[in-house]
Amino acid sequence: MKTYILIVITLILTFSLPATADIKFSGYGSIIAGKTLGTVDDPLNPGQTRDETLTADFYDVGQYTNDITFNAESIFALQAVMDLNNDFKVTAQLVAKGVDDFEPEFDWYYLTYQATNNLTLMAGRRNIPMYYFSEYSEVGYAYPWMRPPSNLYWWQVTQFNGVQAMYNFDWGDYSNTFTFFYGNEYSDDNVEMLYYDKLYGGNAQTVNEYWTDIAGVNWNISGDNFDVRFVYFQNDRDRETIQQDGSIDDYTPFSQTFLGFGGSVDIQQLTVLFDWNFVEYDDARGTEFPTYLVSLVYNFGDYQPYISYSKADHERTKTASATEDLEEHYIMGYGLRYNFLPNASLKIQYDHFVDQGHKESGWAYHGDSDTISIGVDFIF
Amino acid sequence: MLCLFKNKKWAIGLVFCVVSLLTINQAAAEVSIVVHPSNSSSFDKSTIKRIFLGKSKSFSNGRTAILLSVSPKDPATEEFNKKVIGKSSNQVNAYWSKMIFTGKGTPPQEMISTSEIISAISANPDAIGYMDASAVTDAVKVIATF
Repeated sequence: MKTYILIVITLILTFSLPATADIKFSGYGSIIAGKTLGTVDDPLNPGQTRDETLTADFYDVGQYTNDITFNAESIFALQAVMDLNNDFKVTAQLVAKGVDDFEPEFDWYYLTYQATNNLTLMAGRRNIPMYYFSEYSEVGYAYPWMRPPSNLYWWQVTQFNGVQAMYNFDWGDYSNTFTFFYGNEYSDDNVEMLYYDKLYGGNAQTVNEYWTDIAGVNWNISGDNFDVRFVYFQNDRDRETIQQDGSIDDYTPFSQTFLGFGGSVDIQQLTVLFDWNFVEYDDARGTEFPTYLVSLVYNFGDYQPYISYSKADHERTKTASATEDLEEHYIMGYGLRYNFLPNASLKIQYDHFVDQGHKESGWAYHGDSDTISIGVDFIF
Repeated sequence: MLCLFKNKKWAIGLVFCVVSLLTINQAAAEVSIVVHPSNSSSFDKSTIKRIFLGKSKSFSNGRTAILLSVSPKDPATEEFNKKVIGKSSNQVNAYWSKMIFTGKGTPPQEMISTSEIISAISANPDAIGYMDASAVTDAVKVIATF
């Protein structure tokens, strides 16, 4: 912790010194408290009851149980943008999360080169543009809900180191952006994967998760009343589960493809948000994950009541192991966003999580839950 | 405007009239989009909207647009967002928060006052801004009023 504070102080001092470069600070944050409301038969230990548990943040394993916590989702991020000249700039985002005891980390750190008015090149550490809300999934102020539905945003890797080329062009009255990206993520000590190991009775030292040769494209189109995005990418997957004695579990690497179409459409006072995604492994079982979300938001002055439905499924399609009796769940969410200040909003949300997974084989490991959360999102 | 009230009810009547006047003034407030007098690019509402959302980065004359805005507290901002962008100020702020923190856009630079916008635009051929229509001077060119 002390090291991090020193780094932050050093950064602030460095940035405060007179320099030729122009530096701008901004940031965002959320302070969110929540709890689940009841108990459930433990799906992995039949006969025993435990607190209902909602995983609000899969990547960092931020969870709500019966005890009120501020730590599952609260976050503070400071962004510094340093203009090196008219065309080059460096952006760094220091992010501190409750799930990490607020130890700040550089989640974003990249160089931007504005090659022409239409072409932007970026290199460095960024979020993978997978789901429609992935790149700004932690900027609570940017969307109506408490969080993008967590039963879709469940992947153990969300960031990567790589390069990105964005090309903007107009097509009649529609603005288009093509984004090509390529990168790798060597996620040593992956929090989510170690959590699953322990959940199923494992005792691994650590799990390292590798997503390599992540290559894909986004196509964003926006008009007067809509903004939609198509995504396709593929990458190679590998994993090292390291046991206490140092041995590494057998693992067969495979590659995956990610396909998605999402966006928002405004119809008078109503905003419709949606995201449909399909992930496919080229593994021996033919693993597939179809997921989707639909949400309606009513914009009524400073108030935005909303509902959302998000559904995730897991199937195996190759004949020898074909089954749909695996992981499956949906969340029905109800909430209200109140924009009480131009740069801050208050949110309250109720989530009804229904686990439809296959109990006998241990795939219903989440268990049903009802969760209430209240929070304030802000930007500066 | 007729303000007819009698005896004890005069105070309520006065308040009512003042409120009506304020409301009428607000409803009548117009916002002008202004550029440097030398900027002869073509503009329509859709072009202006795309420029102010950072979706079009240049004018039809090929030059990169420099975006200026009045303070968020200035009523002209709310008018501009409502009439030109077609969103509430909160929705516009939410849009910019997504652009800023993914490195995909920079919001208009906030100026302290309308007069500062006028002087900045009159000094820069590539600047574009908006302000209350009644505050416009000869130093800038009005391309649209909503």
